Amino acid sequence: MTNRFTKIKWTILAAVTVGLGTVPVWGSEYALLFFMLFCIYLALAQMWNLLAGYSGLISLGQQSFVGLGGYTVAVMSSYYGINIWIGVGLGGLTSVFLALFMSLFIFRMKGVYFAIGTWIFAEALLVWFSNWAYVKYGSGLFIKPTNDLSMEAIYYAAFVVGAGSIALVYILLRSRLGLGLMAMRDDDQVSETLGVDVFRSKLYCFLISAFVTGITAGIFYVFQIFIQPYKAFAIDWTVKLVFMVIIGGIGTIEGPILGALIYVVLSQYLAEYFSVSMLILGAIAIVVILVAPKGIMGTLQEKLGFEILSPRRN
Amino acid sequence: MPAGAAIKVSGVNVFYDDFHALWDIFLEVGRGEIVSIIGSNGSGKSTLLNTLAGQLTPRTGSISYFGESIGGLPPHETVARGMALVPEGRRVFPRLTVFENLFMGSYTSKARKNRERSLENIHELFPRLAERQNQMADTLSGGEQQMLAIGRALMSEPKVLLCDEISLGLAPIVIKSIYQKIRQINALGLAIILVEQDITRSLKVADRAYVMLEGKIALEGKPCDLTEERVKEAYFGI
Amino acid sequence: MEGLAQDILNGLLLGGLYAIVAIGLSTIFGIVRLVNLAHGDLMILASYLSFFLISALNVSPLLTLVAIMPVMFAIGYILQRFLLNRVLGEEMEPPLLVAFGVSIILQNLMLMTFTPDARSLMSDLSLMTFSLGGNLSVPVLYLINFCIALAVIAGQHYFLQNTYMGRGIRAASDDKYAAQLMGVNTKNTYAVAMGIAIMTAGVAGVLVGMTFTFYPHSGPQYLIIAFGVVVIGGLGSMKGTFVGGLILALAQILGARVFGPGYQLLCGYVVLLIVLAIRPQGLLGRG
Repeated sequence: MTNRFTKIKWTILAAVTVGLGTVPVWGSEYALLFFMLFCIYLALAQMWNLLAGYSGLISLGQQSFVGLGGYTVAVMSSYYGINIWIGVGLGGLTSVFLALFMSLFIFRMKGVYFAIGTWIFAEALLVWFSNWAYVKYGSGLFIKPTNDLSMEAIYYAAFVVGAGSIALVYILLRSRLGLGLMAMRDDDQVSETLGVDVFRSKLYCFLISAFVTGITAGIFYVFQIFIQPYKAFAIDWTVKLVFMVIIGGIGTIEGPILGALIYVVLSQYLAEYFSVSMLILGAIAIVVILVAPKGIMGTLQEKLGFEILSPRRN
Repeated sequence: MPAGAAIKVSGVNVFYDDFHALWDIFLEVGRGEIVSIIGSNGSGKSTLLNTLAGQLTPRTGSISYFGESIGGLPPHETVARGMALVPEGRRVFPRLTVFENLFMGSYTSKARKNRERSLENIHELFPRLAERQNQMADTLSGGEQQMLAIGRALMSEPKVLLCDEISLGLAPIVIKSIYQKIRQINALGLAIILVEQDITRSLKVADRAYVMLEGKIALEGKPCDLTEERVKEAYFGI
Repeated sequence: MEGLAQDILNGLLLGGLYAIVAIGLSTIFGIVRLVNLAHGDLMILASYLSFFLISALNVSPLLTLVAIMPVMFAIGYILQRFLLNRVLGEEMEPPLLVAFGVSIILQNLMLMTFTPDARSLMSDLSLMTFSLGGNLSVPVLYLINFCIALAVIAGQHYFLQNTYMGRGIRAASDDKYAAQLMGVNTKNTYAVAMGIAIMTAGVAGVLVGMTFTFYPHSGPQYLIIAFGVVVIGGLGSMKGTFVGGLILALAQILGARVFGPGYQLLCGYVVLLIVLAIRPQGLLGRG
């Protein structure tokens, strides 16, 4: 019985993945844009969930890596004419270095202090970039690909990151690191006595999430073509990520997928009313936390034992 | 026993979520009586006191206090009616001084009016507390903290005093002194419920006793009627 | 060295303002263990409310405090009693995220209601200074901020140390269970504590609005200042809050002097991060 269910499950998953990967072939221009954004937000949400849902690290500063990843691509392509995809990769690297530097400070902090520490770094970066002549202060930079870049190419990059992020989290959680994380999630101190290196595990997750966030942001800004500090380093990024993961289901792999989908759909409707949309996101997130703190997928999992991508080994 | 019990518990069942902690408890405390409740860890003694104090609500059954039904009332209402709990582990407020702890004891509006007089009485009963008035509560010794916890409960002018394991972790000579104070307090007319693991001492001072096992009343009676055999049987569930 | 003395004087006076900005956050964090991420936005809400009252009634900003204080107390009380009390539990995430949501909602509400234009609470006091001799002059506004801040913080300290409700709040923060046994209705107590905190934030908001221009999105920068003051000065100490305010303000002003005005905020952040890394319990906090 379970065998047949598993087979069906994986078949559907494969079909969906193939479908998603071939949107440029069958989809309209609108569909292309829609699913590209979906893949990008999906990757970002998976990374926030990796931190908040599995490592017990609430980050209110993912925008640090968004901005840095984006600016790396902008600088590399505009000033040095470096191939755009190499630029994206470099964006991931600079983000990791930033994360390492940040960790010197914020990994000494617990809980709330950590969260605010991440936020402060982001705000500091915002101020810095706004005052930095090298990146043309607050007026922003253009991203100039050296070769002509088709929308399809950008889409495939986004797809790789989106699908890749799911695969990455899945594999990570099934590894030894993941087992340690899940133990940590239940009880920090007990797992330490069992030999789980709490500090290292959290640090790895932080670095990994920075890397993926940086790369994803790079791709996003290749699409956007233009980057400015007050938007790239804005807290709005965190608002969206929190919304997506809380509603979709924190601490589940499927949660961010659902959350990203809901968000992209909603944002299409609310595109014109920016403030209203943020307000609605905030209100919905609050209601969800009060009423169903595990989000949609989390509550489904709890009540029905329904899991699509289970990180549990059996 | 004078007419009109101070406390009457009838058929009370208490649950922690799905865990059935107290089973069909029937218990009475007469006015001015000292009642002992004895049992090992996990027998439900503290749960019972917490239920009386209002921290827990019985799922079924009733609790009557001087004729008034109080099952389900929150703690701040039971204490206003004159039922004070000296909690297990004393739980004095560590960052408040001795004086402030006692001050907090008279928090209810009824008790505020007589605060000065109550304070004097407590200082008479526990001279040590008067000496250490301005010290932080967490700098006191175990015995002094116990006195503070009792004094604090008395500040609310209770008619019933619930004591949860007041001898825990204290030296025998300190326990002796505290039990003397219990007698003095009882002499003033307060009914007292003593929850203890130490059988001997609490039976010496009690008018009646109950033995609890696994959330149920296993034995009850006057100490003179309870032989060591029967108590041991009920206590250990043999 | 020109103007250094003036900068230091300004820094000290500004420190008072920062202290009252922070006191609300510190109180709530110390008592309810909740970091109110909406603290800055609630401050700015008060700024906007004051602005509204000034436009409608043509009164001086300080006079609006008479109405603002009770309103902000009520807002804080309701927020805690009906929203935040529900998510207070063992885990730290839900209250943090709910407060975050409230912050976002407030910012966007203010944006929609008042537009993104810069605002300020103007009064004759804004430009007045008096001379202290030498080259030093004291901006009257800064002095008023400092004095009001001192009065409010001292008042709150007295309340917490000497009244039944105040001691009840401290007791509930020490041991909620034991406080309940004393007859403290802890649901109410936490809400009162939040009411007080938001009320002080309201006063801070009016003072800030008189001193600097504000926007709907100004909240977070004051949240970070408040957080910085609490971290530097240490939690649970009135003295610490004041000292923290002074240090942060001095760091900002002297930093702007050395690196340029654009880096004012940044210098504050850097000092904060350093203290967080080296001595997270604050310079005057308990270990």
